[in-house]
Amino acid sequence: MVESSLKRGEDKEQRGNYTTRVTRGELFSIFLRAGLAFGGGLGILAVLEEELVAKRRAVTREEFLTIYGIGRIVPSGTMTALAVAYGYTFGGLSGTVIALAALSLPAFVLTIALTIAYHYLRNSRLFDLLPVTIMPAALALIVVVALKLGKDVFRPSRELILAGVAFALALFLRLNPALILLAGGVLGAFALQKAEEENDTEEKDSGK
Amino acid sequence: MSLWKLALLIALFNLMTFGNGPVMIPLLQTHLVEGARVLTEDQLLYAFTIARVTPGQANFYVASIGYMLYGIPGAIVATLVIMLPGYIMIPLLHGYEHLRDSRWIKSFTKGLTVTSVGLILAAVVQIARGTLTQPIAWVVLLATLVMTQLLKWNILVALAAVSCLGLLLKWLL
Repeated sequence: MVESSLKRGEDKEQRGNYTTRVTRGELFSIFLRAGLAFGGGLGILAVLEEELVAKRRAVTREEFLTIYGIGRIVPSGTMTALAVAYGYTFGGLSGTVIALAALSLPAFVLTIALTIAYHYLRNSRLFDLLPVTIMPAALALIVVVALKLGKDVFRPSRELILAGVAFALALFLRLNPALILLAGGVLGAFALQKAEEENDTEEKDSGK
Repeated sequence: MSLWKLALLIALFNLMTFGNGPVMIPLLQTHLVEGARVLTEDQLLYAFTIARVTPGQANFYVASIGYMLYGIPGAIVATLVIMLPGYIMIPLLHGYEHLRDSRWIKSFTKGLTVTSVGLILAAVVQIARGTLTQPIAWVVLLATLVMTQLLKWNILVALAAVSCLGLLLKWLL
């Protein structure tokens, strides 16, 4: 981790001038800028890389990539995990609160504003136009998510069978998707080990 | 459904899907739309769309759902609940090397991902039955796919374009 490798003083040469501290104020402004980035996870990642690695040299590129790698397996969304990691590194527990608040503020405010807009829309005649505009488009965007996640699913493979069975169980037998999901994970742990190897695709990013 | 039950459901689904927002759609569709009937399909789709067009994390559509059901407190609780597991990051920063090489974790998440592809498509079919009731809606859906996938348009531009297309067709036909 950033701090521990500093303390141990190994790779001192490699780190060179990567010793900048980030203050709590900077932490807030960096993550606020990240939270304003469009393009989901990759947009946010680009801002963090620019601020922490390129501009401030607070983190080496290798540390940045390692922390990103860890963040991907955390069940909160990768960007939330990154806010916790950098907040903790530069400001302890209070740093995590600052980074999380800054990262979430823009999305939270805009999401609530647009949800309130929906309530007004509901009582107007414009509401009748949603079924031919935003609603089918939203459905298309969900299809896109499935296509992106399924980059290596849609070809003859064990993955295709698993996805197909999950589809049928959910749609025709109306089994609870939560149960299907868990079963799929366990089955995957046994049946998809070989297929995994060098196949570490960007699957999680498509959702961020 | 109480606010706390909603928080519990979202927390559980979030953990199960490893925080991958869109994968929660089939779970929310089954439990909130079909099961408890506290949410309509339109509301779920709307919430999902605004998370896509606003900056920041895409799984923030749970804030919108929280607001629809319980106002500001609902939005705040829903958001906190999906962010809290982020703190697992702190112990992980120290014990990462063991985890990264775990083939079991990798193939387990692989299984989750693959299964969720099937589940998401099943949810799409179910939602489509209620949503794509007019031919224009199908045209708009296909146009969105073409613009975002083949033409690689920005999502905001594509949404604006297909909305105009939908309105135009509605006005013409």
